[in-house]
Amino acid sequence: MDRRLFMQMVGAGGLAASSIACPKFFGRAKAAPELPAPLGVPTTCELCPNKCSVLAVVRKGRIHKLNPNPENPKSRGMLCARGNAAIQQVYDPDRLKQPLIRAGARGEGKWKPVSWDEAFDFAAGKLAATKEKYGPQGTLWSSTEGFQEVFFKNLGMSFGSPNILRHPSLCLASVNLAYSMTFGTVPSFDLLNSKYVIMAGANRFESIITPDTMDLIGGVMERKAKFVYLDPRFTVTASKADEWYPIKPGTDMAFILAMIHVIIAEDRCDKTFLDQWTLGFDQLAAHVVPYTPEWAAAETGIPAKEILRIAREFADAGHRAVFYAGRRSSWYQNDFQMRRAQAILNTLVGNWDREGGMVPNRKIEKGEFMFLPWDDPAAPRVDEVGKNFPLTSAKDGVYLPLRENVLKGEPYPVKAWMIYKQDPMNAVPDQGKTLKMIEGMDFVGVVDIAMSDTAWYADVVFPESHYLERTDPIEVMPGIWPAAVLRQQVVKPIHDTKPMLEIAQGLAKRLGLSDFFDYTIDQWVAAEAKDLPVENGLEHMKKHGVVGFSEPKYGTTRNAVFRFVTKSGKIEIFSERLAEAGHDPLPVYASPAQPPQGKFRMILGRKATMTHAALANLPWLHEHNPENDLWINADEAARMGIRTGDLVQVTSTAGTVKIKARATEEIRSDCVFMLHGFGKKSKWLRSVYNVGAADSILLETAWDKVSGNAAMHETFVHVVKV
Amino acid sequence: MAKTGNKRYVMLLDSRKCIDCKACVVACKAENDVPLGVFRNWINAERSGAFPRLRASFDPEQCHHCENPSCVRVCPTGASFQRADGIVLVTEADCIGCKYCMIACPYGARFFNEETRVVDKCTFCAHRVDRGETPACVETCPSRVRTFGDLADPKSPLHALLESRRYRILRPQTGNGPQLYYLL
Repeated sequence: MDRRLFMQMVGAGGLAASSIACPKFFGRAKAAPELPAPLGVPTTCELCPNKCSVLAVVRKGRIHKLNPNPENPKSRGMLCARGNAAIQQVYDPDRLKQPLIRAGARGEGKWKPVSWDEAFDFAAGKLAATKEKYGPQGTLWSSTEGFQEVFFKNLGMSFGSPNILRHPSLCLASVNLAYSMTFGTVPSFDLLNSKYVIMAGANRFESIITPDTMDLIGGVMERKAKFVYLDPRFTVTASKADEWYPIKPGTDMAFILAMIHVIIAEDRCDKTFLDQWTLGFDQLAAHVVPYTPEWAAAETGIPAKEILRIAREFADAGHRAVFYAGRRSSWYQNDFQMRRAQAILNTLVGNWDREGGMVPNRKIEKGEFMFLPWDDPAAPRVDEVGKNFPLTSAKDGVYLPLRENVLKGEPYPVKAWMIYKQDPMNAVPDQGKTLKMIEGMDFVGVVDIAMSDTAWYADVVFPESHYLERTDPIEVMPGIWPAAVLRQQVVKPIHDTKPMLEIAQGLAKRLGLSDFFDYTIDQWVAAEAKDLPVENGLEHMKKHGVVGFSEPKYGTTRNAVFRFVTKSGKIEIFSERLAEAGHDPLPVYASPAQPPQGKFRMILGRKATMTHAALANLPWLHEHNPENDLWINADEAARMGIRTGDLVQVTSTAGTVKIKARATEEIRSDCVFMLHGFGKKSKWLRSVYNVGAADSILLETAWDKVSGNAAMHETFVHVVKV
Repeated sequence: MAKTGNKRYVMLLDSRKCIDCKACVVACKAENDVPLGVFRNWINAERSGAFPRLRASFDPEQCHHCENPSCVRVCPTGASFQRADGIVLVTEADCIGCKYCMIACPYGARFFNEETRVVDKCTFCAHRVDRGETPACVETCPSRVRTFGDLADPKSPLHALLESRRYRILRPQTGNGPQLYYLL
């Protein structure tokens, strides 16, 4: 046994506090004490969806430092600013410390601290009354990604509700569906070994995704692979690219179709690959004839000769060329088809399942905890996903169409809303509508660690224990470098909080559903650890926090017997299933509407110190982003008499906000940008309460036609100096 | 520090890889209990050009742990000192808060810590280095900008980098002999 492993075991055993001295500085004359290695409890970060492995150093019962755990092949031995700042969530003086029941009007901020029994009795009573009056389908259960999300979801399902609403339709539903329809699966991109990378809008250096962000630096910056980046905004990613093109918003598909046109017209495809594995090349060849580089130049604003050259270079890099898919693909109403065009472009160069190409994800086997199953819900879903979006994932639902239906009370009333770990007030476009939906509810219950804006408007708030205070199920992260991770308790909860499982159990007990939750987290984890590809799985996970494969495997699907999970068993360039569902079987381009005179398209984006609309309140992160502002092109700003720091009023059909302007060269003249996560309504987020503005107030309701994914770049705003 | 006599700790920074993500800055805050509003390390961002010909560069910086540290020379009490391994430190108990060292530092790397009431700065995480670890900023960096090591060790990977890459040091004219090497 090596020393480090031994120290981790001791750490996990709880002896952390006694062994650490605190030598801040060393005097010349004083002899340094003999110091042990730092003790770290291996666990898994929860500040964003990347699930990086960390070693938590505890001193005298207090979490002192979170260090990266190098054993995780996906997190590549790093921990970002957010991961490092997690400690501040635990010790945040404004944290939710005990259950609260609303004591004033909605949003007034008057709360009555109550015991867990009172909170459970109150919420269960409301849920039961809703079920009595409207049936179990009268309840909505929405949540975002998290290791304990399963318990929340299971509570909603065992309660009998068909309305389980997860985050993909605010995130990556369109990209997932587009790649699934083409390949039968969603692959990863081997950026570490690519020779030519094109990214459109996926701002990887400010929107960190493991291992892609690090691999793009490692692969592209160190080995000098070529990196072409398209974005209306000059991001950090743009600053690192070999070529940056400020493409006209909404025209990415034109750029891709023109690349396809060139590659086919000049016979630069991987013919052998296309013959053996794909369906519909001939239809594609005919389809893209009109999509010339000259045509695309007029659409995108990128010169035809550059599109031609990039297409040639891309094809020349062959299977080591990738057009990167991106993650948050909630952009335009044609988003699915744009992602399909990407998938097809990648197919043409034969990069499927090759080193440096697009690689199907490898999984890690784990066990499953068997719990008592429940009956399927009797009622159909309120979002009518099966009828209106038959290709998309019915179990995740479609957020915006759902909200439209709930507001109309169609096809049936939904009157209670349970929310886990999500802040729909900021995560979902058109805050006014979300607020209206909240106000139409007989009951709103929120589970979170901090008083989000949504919690601020709830009837009951259940404080969840922080990730460093609880043990969660084992999570498998498929990928080229797959890993399974355990999140285990580092310190005992410092306030009167509970993990989601215990909150579900408390409600289940009062709703007569206890049989479905008759287990402990330890039993659940032990069952999962059984089939892990490592000896003594549970013990290993407690000591190391992670098991992963650090050697990639390429080409496992490139064999004569492999069938893609598509209708034809091949990669479907032309999709009959799309045609049958009434959609274009090949991506058809339609020029996006342009903002009328005096208006701008609003675009969204990320920053490395924030996750979505969260974390801006944490002091260590807040000091790098004290307030958001409106990026507006310097020439446009000058024309309008707007200078940096001036207050401007921004108006869309959804709402209006006031925010400081940033006149900058770093954005096109036809769009404006603001970071989200500011302008909060909750007074318990004191650094960002009423500071800056919330983009969700401005964003209008629009969605991708095929996947139902929110289309968040379809809003035109009017800007005036106040 | 008997064991450090033959060492010379330095840091190499490959700024091309810096994505201004602030991981190093926050890791330092946590590791060293640095108060809000003051920083032991930071990232200098430079933006220039006009749309669409734009440039941005990011250079992380902190105490340069100079060969001939001017901060140590001006310290009236000997609180600021240099270890045999090159790391420049402040003995808290001996610091009277006169701030001469803050003025003498050509890099603005020192600040007055209102919580401890003494002058504060990067220590190269000496407490971690003495345990055989790397400084917190080095360990946490997502894009591997930083390489920390012992220049006196002929087997250190530092040498390969310094031999194969061009590099610069900041403000060489001060004669301080700074030990942060910026790879070009």
